[in-house]
Amino acid sequence: MRVRQWFYLLPVFLLVFAISWSAPADVGPTYAVRNAKIVPVTGPVIDKGTLIIRDGLIEAVGAADKVVIPEDAEVFEAEGLIAYPGLISAHTNLFLEEAAAPARPTGEAAPGPAELMAGAAAQPQSPQNADLIIFKNLKPRKSTLDGFLKAGFTTVLVAPNRGIFQGQSVIVNLNGEEPGPMVVKNSAALHLNFTTNRGGYPSSLMGTIAYIRQSFLDADHYATVQTFYAKNLKGMKRPGFDPFLEALIPYLKDRKPVVFQCNNYEEIKRALKIIEEFKLNAMLTHLNEAWRDSDVLKKAALPLLVTLDFRPPNGSKYVSQGEDLRKKAEAEIYPANAANLAKAGLKFALTTFGLNDAATALKNVQTAIKAGLPKEVALKALTIQPALFLGLAQQLGSLEPGKIANVILTKGELFEDKTQVDKVFVDGVLWKF
Amino acid sequence: MSARFMRFWSAALILAAVSLPAFSAGGSLLIKNGTLLTVTKGVIAKGDILVLDGLIKQIGPNIQAPPGVTVIDAAGKYVIPGIIDSHTHIALNGTNEGSEAITPEADVGAVVNADDTAILTALSGGVTMVHTMHGSANPIGGPNVVLKMKWGKPSEELVVNEALRTLKFALGENVKQSSRTILPGGPPPRYPQTRMGTNAIIRREMLKARVYMEEWDRYNKFKASKTPPKLLIPPRKDLRMEVLADLLRGKMVARCHDYQATEALEFMGLAKEFGFKIQALEHAWEAYKIADELAAAKIGISVFADSWAYKMEAAEGIAYDAGYCAKKGVLVSINSDSAERIRRLFNDAGKTMKFGGLNETEALSLVTFNPAIQLGVDKIVGSLEVGKQGDIAIFNEHPMSAYTRCDMTIIEGDVYFDRAQYLKEREEAAKQAQAPKKGGRP
Repeated sequence: MRVRQWFYLLPVFLLVFAISWSAPADVGPTYAVRNAKIVPVTGPVIDKGTLIIRDGLIEAVGAADKVVIPEDAEVFEAEGLIAYPGLISAHTNLFLEEAAAPARPTGEAAPGPAELMAGAAAQPQSPQNADLIIFKNLKPRKSTLDGFLKAGFTTVLVAPNRGIFQGQSVIVNLNGEEPGPMVVKNSAALHLNFTTNRGGYPSSLMGTIAYIRQSFLDADHYATVQTFYAKNLKGMKRPGFDPFLEALIPYLKDRKPVVFQCNNYEEIKRALKIIEEFKLNAMLTHLNEAWRDSDVLKKAALPLLVTLDFRPPNGSKYVSQGEDLRKKAEAEIYPANAANLAKAGLKFALTTFGLNDAATALKNVQTAIKAGLPKEVALKALTIQPALFLGLAQQLGSLEPGKIANVILTKGELFEDKTQVDKVFVDGVLWKF
Repeated sequence: MSARFMRFWSAALILAAVSLPAFSAGGSLLIKNGTLLTVTKGVIAKGDILVLDGLIKQIGPNIQAPPGVTVIDAAGKYVIPGIIDSHTHIALNGTNEGSEAITPEADVGAVVNADDTAILTALSGGVTMVHTMHGSANPIGGPNVVLKMKWGKPSEELVVNEALRTLKFALGENVKQSSRTILPGGPPPRYPQTRMGTNAIIRREMLKARVYMEEWDRYNKFKASKTPPKLLIPPRKDLRMEVLADLLRGKMVARCHDYQATEALEFMGLAKEFGFKIQALEHAWEAYKIADELAAAKIGISVFADSWAYKMEAAEGIAYDAGYCAKKGVLVSINSDSAERIRRLFNDAGKTMKFGGLNETEALSLVTFNPAIQLGVDKIVGSLEVGKQGDIAIFNEHPMSAYTRCDMTIIEGDVYFDRAQYLKEREEAAKQAQAPKKGGRP
């Protein structure tokens, strides 16, 4: 009898449990943004509209007279403000602080330049990072978050900026300083850069290209051997485990995206050769010399992540011939990069890659627009286009019911001189600067 | 002239240069009334050359220009085949994969840089083609690439696919010095640090390549058999070994940096043992000591004209090296190995007339036809012959004269360098720089 009584009480316990699990803190707030001009990006502009945010998602978007404001909503009167989806930067190096150098016993000499370089280069290939997972290195900082959010960015892709195989990027919403809850997609893409390994192999660009090719060949061979082993567990000697090659397999075999950083025109073609050789599902990033050959990019038909950094790359003929030409190129030639791609009918996302702060990036969008980039293309290149490229179009990139509530409210139109971001909602929560 | 003025001036000039070719003849032009030094077919005192769609169509007197074809007046000038530099390192992003001693996977063809302004320098000296090479830091460096100096064209259009595939080797001091630790805390000393070590490591790698080839042959044989074994796992594909295998299979030839006769003979011994072909020895300062051996083995040399004794291993170099070896039947070319000397290869070739007693044609061959043979492109360039590519340089004086200067450089019928045009642009740029700037500060 006693046992039966307990038995009946079980659902009550479970209910209590469930409630305590979904603690009130886990239910996001409900907001109503009323009478704003709404630019959903994927649909027509609503001149006077209302947007409902509930528990992290967009619940409703529509004309002000059609959307019913829920009773429990905190209401924001937004007359004169414009609502856009939060901007996305599809390539940054944010939040990846350098690992502190190991303490040096007192009395030991400071490291020489060669030693420092060797240390820096060895880091990405250290045993801890051999799996190329970079999430564990994320250290978000309030000041950086504030800067990006003030400029209207709510989502960024984070990849390291050192090493040849830089790592597997993580895409985060800028919702706080806790790495876990920020993640939208982990191991989003594998990032490669045509750089060298100072103090070790490869020390030259041609060595780097060989190293990249050999790594993919080795990953392929590794996968083949592992497959053999899986079929012949009894009777075949167990092959060795290699975290690096293991990490490459999904990118080589299962078409997870590989992002090649193309710091100049030649590197675009060098990347395309490797992509072709290994049939990779690839994206190209940096690309500030994409303007030099839109035909080759058209033929390649790959997602393009184009930086808003207009500085001509080192070693370019616009740099090696004196400061006057470099300045002219930075002011006149490179800002027209995106405009040229748009004219050629290429789809691209704009990124803040290589820039220290988001405000500069936003100013550079204006410069690009002055150089001929249509405004609406610029907006798409910072919202829905990166969402599509990164496989996040179900969740991000526009103001639609069901999508993540990354919303910015601006005073004045985006990409105008005096425009200010008035409010930012990330994952449905109002950000407090 | 102020520094500021000079800066602007040079920038403006380069801006103009960026928009090269100066004028495009669309691959067709007619050069009239020049003295034609054909190299292989003698000298034509007053002749014309018609280039159509990039190829030499006709050579002779009184050729009429087809409609629309630009005519270049070469009266009083010397017309020669475009100069070929058999050994240089220009137009590359990087020269040495110096971290390891054996790096045949490091292919300079993968890092061609068409933006290198050394291409312009080369053009100003009548150079139309270069063999741009891996550096000499490693006993086995990497594959080299042959390029045409088509300034302004994308890198892939510079590459000459018809050329022999060559692999860079190096012996002697450069290899030894690269193996030493220079910076404290830098990479550990590398093997080899002696000439005997250099020979040994090349031999070791060739043996490895043989094993690698056998491994693949065995696998392919099993795979093709009717009853392949159950656990037939393909061997690891090794880019380093793949290149050496190509050399051993005769699909590539060796070009070996060497200074001293002894190390050259040792390397020739390796080639004999493993059956690979040495196309040429680079620098070969002591080739005159082994000219008979080189001629017998059909091994060419690619050398400097003079400037010997700049380091110990060059101490026994002599200015007669090129001329003497050429007379002994060795295929000789004169190279620049430099982005600066490349503009005066004709001067260097001319020196062999004084040192070595070559005649004008023999001397000119050292920078035209002979390097073409060494690169395996003598069927398409290297001399003025009907059917060959229209790679041509026009000089104001005989190119073997000390007073000569290149006035025009043409590749496949397109003008890539025109001295008169350049001077005009330079003058205009200077004028622009002197004009008061709009809105500029007083």
